[in-house]
Amino acid sequence: MTLAKLTRTWAPMAYGFLDGQAKREMRRKMLKAIAVPGCQMPYASREVPMARGWGTGGLQVTLTLIQPEDRVKVIDQGADDSVNAASIRRFLARVSGAAETWDTQDASLIQSRHRVPEERLGADQILILQVPNPEPLRGVEPNMSTARQMHADADYGRLWLTLYEQIVRSGRIMQGAAYPALVNGRHVMTPSPIPRWDVEKLHMAQHLTFLSAGREKRLHAVPPFTSVTPLAFDDVPFKVEAHGSLTCHRSGITGQFMNELPQSDGGALYEVSDSHLGIKAIRARDGEPDTTGPTWYQDGSFRS
Amino acid sequence: MAYVAARGGERAIAEAERLYRAMTGPIDANRVEQLQAALPWLIDRVMGEASLSAPEMAALALAQTGGDLYEAVLVLRAWRSTQPRLATAAPVLQEALFTHRRISAAFKDIPGGQILGPTLDYSHRVLETAVLTGRDFVPEPVTPAADPAPAGQPSLAEWQRAQGLVSALPATPYVAPEDIPDITREPVLFPAPRAHRLQALARADTGGTLALGYAAMRGYGNAHPTVNELRLAEAEVMVRHPSRSFFSAGRVKVSQAEVVSKGRADTLELGFAATLGWNEVKVIAAATLDLNAAKAPKGSPVEEEFFLYHTEPVEASGFCIHFKLPHYVTFQSSLDAMRGASNRDAKGEAPLPVAPAEHQTEPAE
Repeated sequence: MTLAKLTRTWAPMAYGFLDGQAKREMRRKMLKAIAVPGCQMPYASREVPMARGWGTGGLQVTLTLIQPEDRVKVIDQGADDSVNAASIRRFLARVSGAAETWDTQDASLIQSRHRVPEERLGADQILILQVPNPEPLRGVEPNMSTARQMHADADYGRLWLTLYEQIVRSGRIMQGAAYPALVNGRHVMTPSPIPRWDVEKLHMAQHLTFLSAGREKRLHAVPPFTSVTPLAFDDVPFKVEAHGSLTCHRSGITGQFMNELPQSDGGALYEVSDSHLGIKAIRARDGEPDTTGPTWYQDGSFRS
Repeated sequence: MAYVAARGGERAIAEAERLYRAMTGPIDANRVEQLQAALPWLIDRVMGEASLSAPEMAALALAQTGGDLYEAVLVLRAWRSTQPRLATAAPVLQEALFTHRRISAAFKDIPGGQILGPTLDYSHRVLETAVLTGRDFVPEPVTPAADPAPAGQPSLAEWQRAQGLVSALPATPYVAPEDIPDITREPVLFPAPRAHRLQALARADTGGTLALGYAAMRGYGNAHPTVNELRLAEAEVMVRHPSRSFFSAGRVKVSQAEVVSKGRADTLELGFAATLGWNEVKVIAAATLDLNAAKAPKGSPVEEEFFLYHTEPVEASGFCIHFKLPHYVTFQSSLDAMRGASNRDAKGEAPLPVAPAEHQTEPAE
């Protein structure tokens, strides 16, 4: 027997960067996460060539799923050309041979930091959200072992109390992004810090969503056709950001989530946050065929 | 326009990296060799935090990151992620270590003797400024001892156990080396298996471990440490070849510290830490944390969950620098909530009994 017979030819790294053992662990945890929607599954979380907190959790899920025939889109705060998104997309393409795309409809894998694209996702697409903090209870219970016990007991009283206190103090729920939501009627999750605008897009969706936190070593999932209910009171309903009536100064798009651009005269301009949606609208205005797909929001309100 | 939305992000990235690389210039094998020879303690620190004993790779990591320690550790750990695990080495006992330095502060003399080995402990820390004006600093050559200390040294704790000073090790069933819980292959859950705690401390950030260990020493812990035994050594990596023969794949530098609490019970309690490479500050601080963890209240800096999460160098440094990433979507979302709340005032609705928030309810993202 020789060593050469027992091993493959040496290569500086495995396909898709992660070695086979790491991918196997990820697959197991991802399947578990699908089986128990919204429940955080701890995983070993390997180091990848990016700093923790820069999308390493999402990256490990994407690297596990990716195949040469995939078309991968990466966005940061809604933009494909954001420097970190560009860096991650370039890395994914380099280690997998998959094609890069900016088009939501064209993508088979979408890795995103803090946004769900405005165009509806289909059953053949997977959304991977980068999550800084996977624990909705962190604000009321920083100790992770105690928080884990609270999830096991479905003990969410202190979370409800926090929301109630915000109403008492400020007249409304002050939670901005990362609005806690009950998944499949059992586990409360933090849907990564996507804006409230995007939370409803996960409810009974056709696509599969993974939410993965590399630094905190936890991942959870929202499988297709699973209920995602933001925590709200009967008499104080859940409200998304009041962006329904804003218009993008570049593309003319109305009724989608916007970035606010402060102006020197004290006012503000708005720019559509989903950057490729804006590009499609500008191209259509310039005479090219309109390739915009159906969107979750129409005229500023959500259509289920 | 915000920096994130600047068109041509890819080019900006490329040029930003070029600016950084221009500061260190081209790297050749010679530079890597020089670094490895000139900075053994730094190489050891990086190897320990990267949990990878590979001096040449550590020197390369330092060369290509220009000496930014957190970046060097990250590069090495990321490279480690791509490597398959071929074998699990046999456990190493203290007496089998090839020992260079071994001291105890608990006793004037110990079985096997105090062996100072390489240390700056008793030297005067004077900057050799003459080097800058052309007079080379040439260290005095080492005088070999007439009677060299034996390479193998007995374990002090074993002697203390025999004397009844330290309680006997709990009877634990045999665990095969490949079944030892491995922090790089599975997540830590609390209470952590002892293997996980020691592994996490072994790859912990030196500075972070020192900060929390020092806090424990100053009084935020419940046990004051005495250095029972501190060792700098080399450990034989014994592995089994597929043909079943047992052989040494080489030696790795290791350091370990055992600290004892004093005067709390009728037996001494031990805290232990070990790491790859020689790093005395880290193992003493880490052993102090280990010693304090048993009776630590939840949320205190010497509680296992607290110090293991917060001394992880790659996670802590990564999260810290991630705040440079744009956060305008989440900020927009909070802004919307804030404006909603102030509209209430503008509309002349009844003022709410405002009490200051007692603590942060929305953790950093």
